[in-house]
Amino acid sequence: MKDQVAVIGVGCTNFGELFDKGYEELICDAAFAAYADAGIEPSQIDAAYLGTYMPGPAGGKAAVSLGDALRLYDRPITRVENYCATGTDAFRNGCMAIASGAADVVLVLGAEKLRDRGGRGLPRFGHPLLAKGNSAPGLFALAATRYMHTFGIGREFLAKVAVKNHFNGARNAKAHMRMEVTEEKVLNAPMIASPFGLFDCCPTTDGAAAAILCRADIASRFNPDFVLVKGFGLAVTSGRPYYDPTFDYLGFRSTQMAAQQAYEMAGVTARDIRFAEVHDCFTWTEIVNTEDLGFCERGQGGHLAAEGRTAIGGDIPINPSGGLKSFGHPIGASGVRMIYECVEQIRGRCGERQVANAELGLAHNVGGPGAVACVIVLGAR
Amino acid sequence: MPGITAYGFYVPRHRLERSKIAAGWGTSPPPGEIAVGNYDEDALTMGVEAAGACLDDKSAPDALFFASTSSPYAEKQVASVIATACDLPRNTQTADFGGSIRAGVSALVAAANALRAATRRDVLVVASDCRLAAPESDLEGVLGDAAAAVRVGSEDVLADIVAVSHVSEEFTHFWRTGEQRFLQALTGKFSNTYGYVRDVAEAVRDLLAGQGLEPAQLSKLAAYAPDARAAVDLCKRLGLDPKTQLVAPPVAAIGSAGAADALLALGAALDTASPGDWIVVAGYGEGAEAVLLRATDALPAHRAQRSWSAWLAAKSSLPSYQKYLKLRRIIAVDGGGEAINNVLEHKELKQDMRLYGSRCEDCGEVQYPMARVCIRCGARDRLADHKLAKSGAIFTFTIDYLIANVELPLPMAVVDLDGGGRVYLQVTDFIEAEVEIGKPVVLTYRWLHDGGGNHNYYWKARPVR
Repeated sequence: MKDQVAVIGVGCTNFGELFDKGYEELICDAAFAAYADAGIEPSQIDAAYLGTYMPGPAGGKAAVSLGDALRLYDRPITRVENYCATGTDAFRNGCMAIASGAADVVLVLGAEKLRDRGGRGLPRFGHPLLAKGNSAPGLFALAATRYMHTFGIGREFLAKVAVKNHFNGARNAKAHMRMEVTEEKVLNAPMIASPFGLFDCCPTTDGAAAAILCRADIASRFNPDFVLVKGFGLAVTSGRPYYDPTFDYLGFRSTQMAAQQAYEMAGVTARDIRFAEVHDCFTWTEIVNTEDLGFCERGQGGHLAAEGRTAIGGDIPINPSGGLKSFGHPIGASGVRMIYECVEQIRGRCGERQVANAELGLAHNVGGPGAVACVIVLGAR
Repeated sequence: MPGITAYGFYVPRHRLERSKIAAGWGTSPPPGEIAVGNYDEDALTMGVEAAGACLDDKSAPDALFFASTSSPYAEKQVASVIATACDLPRNTQTADFGGSIRAGVSALVAAANALRAATRRDVLVVASDCRLAAPESDLEGVLGDAAAAVRVGSEDVLADIVAVSHVSEEFTHFWRTGEQRFLQALTGKFSNTYGYVRDVAEAVRDLLAGQGLEPAQLSKLAAYAPDARAAVDLCKRLGLDPKTQLVAPPVAAIGSAGAADALLALGAALDTASPGDWIVVAGYGEGAEAVLLRATDALPAHRAQRSWSAWLAAKSSLPSYQKYLKLRRIIAVDGGGEAINNVLEHKELKQDMRLYGSRCEDCGEVQYPMARVCIRCGARDRLADHKLAKSGAIFTFTIDYLIANVELPLPMAVVDLDGGGRVYLQVTDFIEAEVEIGKPVVLTYRWLHDGGGNHNYYWKARPVR
């Protein structure tokens, strides 16, 4: 499927606490920007995919939320929900619609209004007894605790990831948290779920992002500045890793398997990837992602960040956008927002955040935690 | 002859010094402390703990009697809940005893009668109370939380049940109407003298006289007492030496745990008694009830796995009176959450409450929750129901400061159980240094949250203490 699908346009709203914007308004802002970037009219869209993790009172439960917002009717629209991989999985489904021949032009849109709910963090769903007491930070923290115990690394390694991603996000006009932080500030922040303090955690954010895909062979008709989909992969493992006696908590097999699929499809290895937007919902998650994606050996992810190799000027820049940590994490939107960043990097349009020689990039989501991961490899034509 | 075959205790970890209560009200500080249940403890959960201390893998009792004046339910049998959490068979006879703090001894008498009538062969009696005293009332600092259990059978008896006696006559001392949350009492010398001492002394005297025993022949009197002074007065009335013949009543050490008190004192007596010793256990309330026991040669080999004095010593001090008010829900706290419905409860009873997982007959992996496909080898429908151990060690954990819970922080731990199986549980009754990779924990059945207008209980982990 390599090189059969092109991304001809992308759009992204500002991310943040968007109390003055509705869910459908965010969809419009992201879609209209993508239409303009792609040089298409909505009538040319054959099919659409909506990524929303958590429906709210303003919409998101079904495809009609996208159809009604954009008055995009009479054609196939599908809502995708796959935990934190919702956005990249919506994109993956769009790719498959084109590669199958079922559609020539596809809109992929991720939108999430987490701040409409009030309260802290994410609401919990699920069994009233089993696993009661889990939270998003608490679940990733189980893995971080075990990882840090095993490899003997302290919270200062995690803090370096926060410092780097806030540095990048401070230079990104669309990011939620546009301020730099010091390692000291990260380490002294209130504890959320040990070992994660406040600045080890991504914020809860509103936002939307969109991408227009089309058959690669007709892409230049719309927009000559297109980017090619080189490969994608998605893997599901246990959503209850805490009950799995075979799990060592030292890495996520879902990411490893999704990356393997994507690299094979693209005909590349991890060494060929020039930069990556990875799922840093928590600082530690970025560390383990760099290992699972093959950028370094097991247990070395903390050192990769500490040595500055994941900075924009490093040999494998990670999250030049600022990542979930600084850009924010409206769950269903995040994956599409990463596609947006990858496309803009490959096109060389990222200004002071521009990665040198950014011809091959990667977007990665992992959720669950570890239950599902999706990897998309994008490259210059 | 029926007798006691096992006994055990449960005392919550938390203690509140009476001086902290006095500080809250600006009064002069009395000595001592009370045992205080954690926010997720009640008479039911403490009952499960005490019952567990009397159970083993060898045989299951065929009846379970639960005695309490502070059941978490006005209508719903707790004995059956405890029997299920202890994985007793469905054909177990269960009954709740309540209405009076005498209920603990009443349940023991009923168990002895069932053995005598040969209708039951093995009865587990569980008595548990965590009564609330109104703030700034005379009872505040007098009541404590604890549970006791004794098993009555006819094999390997460690103390024979020789005789019983009863006194029943109205006397207004302690009460609580259906609308009242806090225990009501007419405390003081009159109630102690004309109620407590008179009724209990009469029951004990009848008991001894019936067997031709002199007071001096009694080794231990294990009696409920409303306060330490009343117990001494009782001894004087009976011609007993309180220094040598009286088991210090629980009210002095941890506060009065109501229906559990007499059985706690009985256990304390059995911890140190010698074969041949005569012991009287006596309960009080609207009369009195007393049971005469005689320790057998089997006692030294069958004492409680964990003694009364060990339970008293394993404690930690609450930081303040306000913390106590919160833990016991005397000041309002927000519970709430998803409710267990009876369809889900019914379908998952064995898994969630009896705590069974699955064991793969091909590769041997023990796994939880119960499954159709093996998590290790992928074998289909080769998984057999497997009862999980209630002990293990922390594999990994987090201490969560964000989650919605009555008490924060809330540790969550992945626990590898002894004998296999990995579970993911809330940690309770902890100090932070005990929540570490590799640290041992035991499982305890606790209140999880209120939802749907009902209490929701599930297993948690607590550090070994």
